[in-house]
Amino acid sequence: MFNLVQAAPILAAAFIASSVEVVEAFTIVLAVSVVRGPRPAALGAAAALAVLAAVVAAFGPLLATVPVHGLQLTVGVLLLVFGLGWLRKAVLRAGGVLALHDEDEAFAKETQALRRESLTQSKAADWLGGIVAFKAVLLEGTEVVFIVLAMGARPGLLAPAALGAAGACVLVTAIGLALRKPLSKIPENSMKFLVGGLLTGFGVFWCCEGLGAPWPGGDWAILGLVSFYLAAGLALSGVLRHMSHERA
Amino acid sequence: MDVLRALAATIAKMFATDLWLTATALAAVALCAIGMRAHIVPPAILPFLLAAGIVAALAVGVIRGARRQGGKSGSSSPVDRRTF
Repeated sequence: MFNLVQAAPILAAAFIASSVEVVEAFTIVLAVSVVRGPRPAALGAAAALAVLAAVVAAFGPLLATVPVHGLQLTVGVLLLVFGLGWLRKAVLRAGGVLALHDEDEAFAKETQALRRESLTQSKAADWLGGIVAFKAVLLEGTEVVFIVLAMGARPGLLAPAALGAAGACVLVTAIGLALRKPLSKIPENSMKFLVGGLLTGFGVFWCCEGLGAPWPGGDWAILGLVSFYLAAGLALSGVLRHMSHERA
Repeated sequence: MDVLRALAATIAKMFATDLWLTATALAAVALCAIGMRAHIVPPAILPFLLAAGIVAALAVGVIRGARRQGGKSGSSSPVDRRTF
């Protein structure tokens, strides 16, 4: 059955998480395109996308056959650990402890590295460019595939998760192609922060369901949990900023 | 080969960016499960207990991260502050 209370945040989480990863992958694919031309960049990216889509198509339906309680606990723990990692990093960045990810800097670095490699291996440069694009999309996409598979592990939820990820991929790529420059204006950390809160909330909710201790309010508790972790993250980043002000 | 190695590193990093945080989250879930099986924690309280345990783990993880980074690099640049 399609459950809107669960499907909407799953679609949103997959869309936002994918946007963050696609922005990072696009920067590298664009660098390959600028240095070696659009052909190796497009071929490498398309090959990686095909691999990622095949993984989702193979494992998605397989997960639907696993007993619900065991699956909820396993997926809940994985989502919890993964979401907490994103939330912690986003809080540290929001609090000014870690530097923000800079797409312009990443683009400049990648372009420089590719030009250096092209000089030393001029014959294999196109092949090398294709591999770089393939690797970037595959590695950034791995996290998206995990989110899609984990959040879509319940019956009927794989489609909204996959739709959210695919929508982000199309939208970010279209914007990037139209602008033809790294998408450095996208507020990556705020998006990462939001996804961290969403995944942590879902993780805690599914862990409890898997343990046989359901939340009062059923699926609506997810919204409360997500808000709780986002508020906690905001408070923690405020504390970090306050601490750094006092130190300065 | 290089791609496979990078893929393995990415997967490992996904779940263990901060080993302490991962271990604490796993311990919180395990303790809740044990408490419930041993009838120490009532099922009605367990969700709130786990939610509180996880937020405490996050808080300690953030403070540990800040201390570690503070030791490495001092404080933030103006770029670091434009976040939300």
